[in-house]
Amino acid sequence: MDKLNEDKFGEMLGRALQSHSEPVPAGFTERMLSRIEQAEQQRILARVVWQERLALAGCIAAGIIAIVAVVVFPDRIAGVLRSIAGGFTGQGKALVEKMTPTVDIEAVRSEWQFYTVLVLLLGFAVYSLVDMFVGDRLRTA
Amino acid sequence: MAEKLWEKQQKRKWLQLLRSGDHQAFAEFIDKYKETVFLCCRRLGLREDEAEDVASETFLAAYNGLSRYGGRAELSTWLWGIAYRQAVSYLRKKRRHWQLEAELDERIADSKQQGPAAAVQSREIETIVWEVVERLPRFWAMAVILHYREEKEISDIAKIMQIKENTVKTYLFRGRERLKEMLASAFEEDY
Repeated sequence: MDKLNEDKFGEMLGRALQSHSEPVPAGFTERMLSRIEQAEQQRILARVVWQERLALAGCIAAGIIAIVAVVVFPDRIAGVLRSIAGGFTGQGKALVEKMTPTVDIEAVRSEWQFYTVLVLLLGFAVYSLVDMFVGDRLRTA
Repeated sequence: MAEKLWEKQQKRKWLQLLRSGDHQAFAEFIDKYKETVFLCCRRLGLREDEAEDVASETFLAAYNGLSRYGGRAELSTWLWGIAYRQAVSYLRKKRRHWQLEAELDERIADSKQQGPAAAVQSREIETIVWEVVERLPRFWAMAVILHYREEKEISDIAKIMQIKENTVKTYLFRGRERLKEMLASAFEEDY
């Protein structure tokens, strides 16, 4: 009997509470949507600022690395510059030779600092190019 | 059966749209749940302007968190949880804990002394019940609303309110008992 009364009370309570509608300020949805748009724009702006800072830091770091490399490894840098000056044909040929399966792993390993910087710079250049051409489309998609 | 399946598919599509950041879908989401969010804020004792601020923060947090929503809990339970945490954190920032406790005690005392009959005269049962629920201590009222209005399970209420299931049961039991007392005195005076 008590259980029956409890159930009936619960049912009555549920019905009564469900019939209540809470007042919501007019235009809340529109205000909310415009706030979300603003937040999105701010997020995109913050991302662009962050990218710009990264690019600036990259330029500064590359400059510092170049200076340090010239001071610390003058012979090696001179060699690299000489080989660049040696002409694109020779470079290309050397690159093709290095890319063949007979590449000398030991030679690459001994110059890991140079290749690491090269890979990082190339990676950043590719990222910047992709971001420049399709970044906006990806962000707003 | 087919209708249920269709509904489920529609719901999944809508959820995908929401996760992808579709503004139209999010506008529908706001329209569907804004009343619930305001109800949560108001029942926890926020003023109208405060409730709007907290509701905005809630929907903004939901918008940012939708991509991480795994679908384990119901969408409404997930949103209730965000709204509840936002409102409680707002209250904590705004008022010190002892103030909250003092208010809670005041409300308990009020609900004992006044009785709803003083405020409500022969009105519809729904209105009387709602007014009586509003006089309950806020956490009891929240548990009662979540259980009887939103039809949430005890475990879901515990997750939303970040308390133990036994505490929810206690809130519900005490809330129901107090409601019975208050409603009985309201109807005695009305009829």
